[in-house]
Amino acid sequence: MTEHRIAEKLTSPIAIINQHGDVEWKNPAFEAAFGPDAKDWLKEASRVVGGERGWLQDFFMEGEEHRTTEVEIEGRSFRVEHLMNVDEYATPAVALWFEDVTQQRQMEQAKSDFTAQIVHDLRGPLSGIQGTLEFVLSQEGTKLDSMYTDLLQEAQRESERMMGLINELLDFSKIESGSFVMEKEPVRVAGVLKRAVRSLQQVASRDEVFLLSAHGRDVPQVIGSVEKLTQAIINLVSNSLKFTPKKGLISVGAQVVRNGEVPESIVITVTDSGMGIKAAEVQQIWEKYKQSGNKSLRGGGGTGLGLYIVRQIVEAHGGEVTVASIEGVGTSMVIKLPVRKSTDTGVITAQRTLA
Amino acid sequence: MSSVASPKSTVVPEWARLVADSLKQYGVWHTYLKLQEARGAYPNDLSLRGYTEIIRNNIVRDFLAHPKGLAAVPKLSGEFLTNFDRFNLTAQEGYLVSLIDGRLDLQKLLVLSPFDQFTTLFNLAKLQHERAITVP
Repeated sequence: MTEHRIAEKLTSPIAIINQHGDVEWKNPAFEAAFGPDAKDWLKEASRVVGGERGWLQDFFMEGEEHRTTEVEIEGRSFRVEHLMNVDEYATPAVALWFEDVTQQRQMEQAKSDFTAQIVHDLRGPLSGIQGTLEFVLSQEGTKLDSMYTDLLQEAQRESERMMGLINELLDFSKIESGSFVMEKEPVRVAGVLKRAVRSLQQVASRDEVFLLSAHGRDVPQVIGSVEKLTQAIINLVSNSLKFTPKKGLISVGAQVVRNGEVPESIVITVTDSGMGIKAAEVQQIWEKYKQSGNKSLRGGGGTGLGLYIVRQIVEAHGGEVTVASIEGVGTSMVIKLPVRKSTDTGVITAQRTLA
Repeated sequence: MSSVASPKSTVVPEWARLVADSLKQYGVWHTYLKLQEARGAYPNDLSLRGYTEIIRNNIVRDFLAHPKGLAAVPKLSGEFLTNFDRFNLTAQEGYLVSLIDGRLDLQKLLVLSPFDQFTTLFNLAKLQHERAITVP
């Protein structure tokens, strides 16, 4: 067939593999990459043990075409693309395209390691500056002219902002390298929201913005990381603070979604009466380096990573994020977290979202 | 946004446009009630919760825009005192009404209320909208 002749000329490995992990057809590039006998890893990829299944089975279970996955094969990273289902063999089969992305991933890892090192080196001296400013401003006996006090407070605010940016970069590099590890422990969501609101209450007062809790104490626990969930909520409230004018209102709420009497999930909302987001930009804001076209009311830009980090944290908790916004009226960032059993503890890792 | 489309349709309504239009034409309270109806029809629509919160947030923001801010003192309206059967209060609203004595300001009511700050202010705004209380 012409199709097979074309595939044989391609330098990327392509194969038709059946549901048992047997190669029905392969091009020369596949044989060059994996050898004449690729059975070991294919058997592993096609296994179904209990509720767990190998990556190959996903292509058969989900039934959609043109999906991709990234897998490790014999120490190398491959992006595997599902080209089509093939039904001309005795056993259902799929045509797969393999792209070796090992070098690309190694370069990304090196870049991520370098970023992590730089960020780590920047945090040290900045912490020293912050400590010094805090010490000077906290000395009640010091008779500072009000102009100098204002300048020192401004320096303190800017150093806090810079630390925030550095921390975002550090988290981002950890997510990119797959080392953004989070504890899995029972988390009191009400406590997380309270802590986040309390930590930004002073900033909100300074900016003359009302910041209110909108949840009771009877919010069920979720399984995850207290620290990371708090960070996610702080990121959202900080973001709202940038775009909410004086006398505006930011509310942080939580509602329980029940299936009958059983709590199924918790919906957390961070809502502001800010300028809103343009309809064309709403779906992009959770992506890395994407920021709304609106200018911050408090000055200073961001890394464009804050909401991306929030999304990674929430997805690592098995949750989902969305946003509702009306230009000129306000924005609500919505997080849905599943309520899980307290036995489901351990460690989870945030993985970057492919494509 | 005078009616809500059937949930059987797989097409998700354009909430942003519908809510913005409703706000312009009918104001926050009508829009809020319509969103509550829509919540029943689209219980799993996460963004719909967000739009409802935006409207609730604006209601409370407007309530807080009183020139006296949290120092404003709510009072029971004459209509409520003479004809309280007309008012169909929820349990939360009823509890808050019981706290209003014409002397406690919003700040003190927030401290005394067993509900969270936002819920307390939202209920007070609703009571004001329904003319059960006035905030002179």
